[in-house]
Amino acid sequence: MTQRNLRQAALLGGVLSLCAIGASAETLRWASTTDPQTMDPHAVNSAPVLSFLNNIYEGLVRRGQDMSIEPSLATSWEPLEGENGWRFNLREGVTFQDGAAFTAEDVMFSYQRASDEAADVRSWFAPVSEVRVVDDFTIDFVTTAPNPLFPDSIANFMILDKDWAESNDAALPARDAENFATMNVNGTGPFTVASRDPGVRTTLVPNDNWWDEVQHNVTETVFTPIGNSATGLAALLSGEIDFIQPIPLQDVEQVEGREGFKVLEGEETRVIMFGFGHEHDTLLYSSDVTDANPFTDPRVRLAAAHAIDIASIDRVLFRGKIEPASQLVPAGISGFSEANQDRPAFNQERARELLAEAGYPDGFSFGLKCTNDRYINDEALCRAAASMFAAVGLNAELSTGPVRDYWPQLREDDFDMYLLGWSPGTFDMEHPIRFLMHSQDDEKKLGSWNFGNYSNARVDELLPQIQQEINPAARQAMIDEVVAITQEEVAYIPLYTQPLIWAAKDNINLTQRADNFFMLRWVTVN
Amino acid sequence: MVYFILKRLVQSVFVMLAVAFLAFSLFRFVGDPITQMTGVETSVADQERLRDELGLNDPFILQFGRFTGDMLQGDFGFSYRTRQPVAEMIADRIPATLELGIVALLISLFVGIPAGVYTALRPRGIATQTILMTTLVGVSIPTFVIGIMLIFIFGVQLGWLPTFGRGGTVQIGGWESSLFTVEGWRALLLPAITLGVYQLTLTMRLVRAEMMEVMRTDYIRFAMARGVPMQKLHYKHALANTMVPVITIIGLQFGGVIAFSIVTESVFQWPGMGLLFLESIRFVDIPVMGVYLVVIAFFFVLVNLIVDLLYVAIDPRLRVRDVQ
Repeated sequence: MTQRNLRQAALLGGVLSLCAIGASAETLRWASTTDPQTMDPHAVNSAPVLSFLNNIYEGLVRRGQDMSIEPSLATSWEPLEGENGWRFNLREGVTFQDGAAFTAEDVMFSYQRASDEAADVRSWFAPVSEVRVVDDFTIDFVTTAPNPLFPDSIANFMILDKDWAESNDAALPARDAENFATMNVNGTGPFTVASRDPGVRTTLVPNDNWWDEVQHNVTETVFTPIGNSATGLAALLSGEIDFIQPIPLQDVEQVEGREGFKVLEGEETRVIMFGFGHEHDTLLYSSDVTDANPFTDPRVRLAAAHAIDIASIDRVLFRGKIEPASQLVPAGISGFSEANQDRPAFNQERARELLAEAGYPDGFSFGLKCTNDRYINDEALCRAAASMFAAVGLNAELSTGPVRDYWPQLREDDFDMYLLGWSPGTFDMEHPIRFLMHSQDDEKKLGSWNFGNYSNARVDELLPQIQQEINPAARQAMIDEVVAITQEEVAYIPLYTQPLIWAAKDNINLTQRADNFFMLRWVTVN
Repeated sequence: MVYFILKRLVQSVFVMLAVAFLAFSLFRFVGDPITQMTGVETSVADQERLRDELGLNDPFILQFGRFTGDMLQGDFGFSYRTRQPVAEMIADRIPATLELGIVALLISLFVGIPAGVYTALRPRGIATQTILMTTLVGVSIPTFVIGIMLIFIFGVQLGWLPTFGRGGTVQIGGWESSLFTVEGWRALLLPAITLGVYQLTLTMRLVRAEMMEVMRTDYIRFAMARGVPMQKLHYKHALANTMVPVITIIGLQFGGVIAFSIVTESVFQWPGMGLLFLESIRFVDIPVMGVYLVVIAFFFVLVNLIVDLLYVAIDPRLRVRDVQ
């Protein structure tokens, strides 16, 4: 090689390496409204925590961009032979971020940790009767009954390293004090925590030894919780952050109107609905009907459903961004009943007729409870609904309050009608049937969010069968039956699916998953 | 003197106890911590067990007694939300709030006092009228709106200053300070102005009113007649005599600045005690709320004590009385 060629080569190499540095040094600064309360994946079963930690820890299975279940720390799984449950074949050659090897012992340990009384995620393992380590890379989860959806239901069950947790006194999640795992992490996932100042800033860096093919090009990411939405928007528009989730509906135009920013819109899986006090003998907040509860009559509930003008709510309150709902999960979720996708039409005439048939030709007054800080535009929605109810003679006495105060009131049956939003944690129709439609049963832990205690013997009978049915067609037939019954009886008034609105700079490519989780592994900064 | 300070400190313990008592009697109305601590899938039985473990089923008096008892032993408990020690959480946030409050106070003094003197000496000038008008606007707009306005003008439109957070901070012996970096000062400016605007207006109007009053008194007229230079007259004789009431009000207000920096901290995502308190309310984090309120009560007592001591330093008459 001549002197000149050498110099050119050196120059070229220099330029190339410069490019490489330019392309690789990608810091992503992002914000969300809530700081993950803890770094312990078993301590709190809440979306901010699970969403954040899914970037650091991994489960046996994980959800893809379209929410489908795909292999993660397990490469495959199949039903056990001769008994109920699942066998998971684990991925070999995976290491935790501290270098320790991942084996079935870690899964076993994590199962024990996550199903302990101190863990908030233990309900995921209610169907599990036994877990057996077969060999280093095979583990069996035995369930009390056939459980076709078990692998889907543990997508957020994250695996900790046994030795790491035990040697740091974090063998159990911290409930009312802190432990090592509250602030420190050691996962197998694509990112790890470089520094954390709770409530202020958390810095993540890629895990160079991650087993999967890297799709992102982020070299560092700084997360800041920004509780005030106006501040968050300003931070985005001033360029101090690259991405924020979520932004309020009313700020969409602000962001869209600016060069260099984009709004990402999707449907969340959360269905907003009204519920009734099905087993109340009398109304609590009525000024005219004090000796009965008209809502025990399905005709009255149907009248209320006919009174709702969902198209106007969509247009006026949500700028056309909601999807009207016919049942407690949106279309596209497994188990969605296509046979029952009509919702009661907006028909004031019919509503008045129904009320007259039920013996309330002049309507009646009742109390409507709503949150004012839980769902998008929740208070405005309830005001709109109250005036729509009033138009047919249902005079809603609206009372709204913060969510921290709300659930205890509902648990104490302090309502005539109430607002509720439900996101199916397993992304299957069985979830809302279990929590919202099955009769309250503390012992079996069923119907725990069925505040009004809607109760139908057939629904109660079908739920365990749905949970255990392996044949998809037979399962769907039973779900269709439940949906048909609950629609017929107007157990709830499903209103709409809540939109998901994120905002980012134009140069950020990311995936907006329907569970509102922000996965760093799909982010590219251009 | 030492006796006086000690007496005040003992009094402060009772103030803090009273605040803690009031706070605790209100906490039950804030909401239910358990539903905030657990996920939707957590069974009712598990929720009840946790409620029992945390002692939330105990009678109010018992809970209050446990809280104060632990606190007297130096145990501030653990946060329901983050599960971290509360003492550490609050101690980590104190520097941010104090620096913000002090800088806001300094801005209000260094702008408010000269402006007050100026507007008192030239009551009819155009500049005076302009200053009075603008500060009136400044004091009538809520802090929240002032903050958002400043953010949108200087952060978003002009892009001069950061819109949130503390910028660059340095650790000095456990004290995280933003006073030693340019980035830190840039981040501090907008929130400090937002927090200081009300104080500034108050200081200015107070100084102006006092000053106008003093300027009419006999000894000023006499000094004027004797030919004392105007500069000396205004700033030595007149201003010094306006300072006692000004210091009282400013001092008392400073306790409020620290306590009510909540709004400013929220608007600027300023990681101080106020923001922590706000997050704690949202999560019904009773241990953090309790300790925060007690700490704030202590601040008020401390500030009042300092104000009392400053009186003595400024007003010679008090010292004379003390000697007698």
